[in-house]
Amino acid sequence: MAKLTILHFPDPRLRTRARPVLAMSAEVQRLAADMLETMYSAPGIGLAATQVGVDQRLIVVDVSEKGNEPRVFINPEILARAGTETMQEGCLSVPGVFEEVERAASVRVRALDGNGQTLEFDADGLLAVCIQHEIDHLNGKLFVDYLSELKRRRIRKKLEKEQHAARSASRPAAPAI
Amino acid sequence: MSRHSPRALAARVLAAVWQGARLDEALSKSASGNFPLRDAALVRELCYGTLRFQPRLEYWLTGLLARPLDAREAELHALLLLGLYQLSEMRVAPHAAIGETVEACRHLSKPWAVQLANAVLRRFQREQARLMTELPQHEDAYYAHPRWLLERIRADWPDRWREILEAGNQRPPLTLRVNRLRRTRAALLEELAAAGIAVQPCEFSADGVVALEPFDVRTQPGFAAGHFSVQDEAAQLAAELLEPRAGMRVLDACAAPGGKTCHLLECCPQAQVLALDNDAERVRKIHQNLQRLGLSAEVRVADATHPDTWGGGRSFERILLDAPCSATGVIRRHPDIKARRRSAAVSASVAVQARMLTALWPLLASGGKLLYVTCSLLVEENAAQVDKFLAAHADARALPIAAHWGVALPPGRQILAGESRMDGFYYACLHKA
Repeated sequence: MAKLTILHFPDPRLRTRARPVLAMSAEVQRLAADMLETMYSAPGIGLAATQVGVDQRLIVVDVSEKGNEPRVFINPEILARAGTETMQEGCLSVPGVFEEVERAASVRVRALDGNGQTLEFDADGLLAVCIQHEIDHLNGKLFVDYLSELKRRRIRKKLEKEQHAARSASRPAAPAI
Repeated sequence: MSRHSPRALAARVLAAVWQGARLDEALSKSASGNFPLRDAALVRELCYGTLRFQPRLEYWLTGLLARPLDAREAELHALLLLGLYQLSEMRVAPHAAIGETVEACRHLSKPWAVQLANAVLRRFQREQARLMTELPQHEDAYYAHPRWLLERIRADWPDRWREILEAGNQRPPLTLRVNRLRRTRAALLEELAAAGIAVQPCEFSADGVVALEPFDVRTQPGFAAGHFSVQDEAAQLAAELLEPRAGMRVLDACAAPGGKTCHLLECCPQAQVLALDNDAERVRKIHQNLQRLGLSAEVRVADATHPDTWGGGRSFERILLDAPCSATGVIRRHPDIKARRRSAAVSASVAVQARMLTALWPLLASGGKLLYVTCSLLVEENAAQVDKFLAAHADARALPIAAHWGVALPPGRQILAGESRMDGFYYACLHKA
């Protein structure tokens, strides 16, 4: 297993619309395992392949209390939505930003699990929010897209500044005289 | 998606309470219901605990801050207080309490406060031993009650004020009332015990069952089936004191959410009960409770102080007046009272209570009984209020309450919060000549 690098907003690769997984393979399973490891160490409760620069429709999720119920969803689709719910969200690709987003309160989901078996289930609460958030990633969409233009621009500026600062800090320091 | 922050959410709920919201409503409106159960429980614990000890936490925070926080920073203020609550009262590892609380600054979109929160909480941790030792020298911080309330309770109960205030900082038990029309208490005790819930019969209420550990009543099928309700033992004493009989006309003047209404119908289903409340939203709860328990009563949205608008010339053999009050007897159950109630509100309730007594008395039939109830510990709302009423009404007489609970007063009987695990209640039985 290996920890992957998470792309940060406004990286253009986060805007990719990911392609479906065509065949279950050892490679796909390794990707899912690496993504889970990356998600747990972030720490996060969901991660989409797009966020680690992989152009595949695959998400991993764990909303359990103890972080011991990993789930892998391949080619996930939302079949139906019901109700609305507003929850504060944060994203591993938009670190340090937490904003309220309105989404469907419950969703019916179809996907393949990590073994390629078809799943169809209803989700609500945090799981419903998380699945919608991650499927958005597969479509090149981020939670900041739900915010006002002004707010999004402010977040982009802030993150660009932080990324710039981080790059400068990692350069070797000039030798002391 | 990154991990959510129970601490940030709790800080938002607390800020809403300071804006005047009720804690239970602010909590149910928050998104905590979407969290995994353990996190939702943490949000609840942080909110209840921080409000319970707020006067103490404020005292510490003032000393730890180099200069006061901007008054607009209510969420940050709340976050710092709940950080101190975790360090002083909860069994959370200090590094986790500090780390997660500091991290919650980002969830509140206040990354600039990270350093401040870190400094305040670490300084508390370093100085905790000294701060704890010095605490008894600062009365309102030590007893964790607002100064005005501490003074009033000390004046009203000069020999018992310390134990009253200490009881106000305890966690209340979860007490249930069996619906005697559907289950015996023995059967309910057995069913709950079989479900792994430790329960005991109550001491004074024949229908009461106290749970030794809180549990979510909705997980027990008997709740939806109307076998039992949630109600403190002190509140369960009302039905027995009122003594409703079959066919009697009974008025419950401030009935919402209907706990006492339902209990007196469970004791006497043939009583003709009219239940009023002036809050339409809460009247809905009366209907829900009646339905769940399989009972029926006439329910109206009406103001008890204006019988001309709803009385229609009716008279009643029994009147239950569970009057609006300072709720100082249930502070352990609703610690937001400490933050929301001001001393001026007590004078306002005293005036309303007097108006209600005066307005309802003419509706009581000769030979009838009015039971005056508050969940207050303050003499002005209780014995002094009833005394004033008796002096102005020659046809009214206070019946002594023969009971093993509470303190006998002239007139009425007072349960102090914490006595036999009960809430603080006042009862007076008034008989009409």
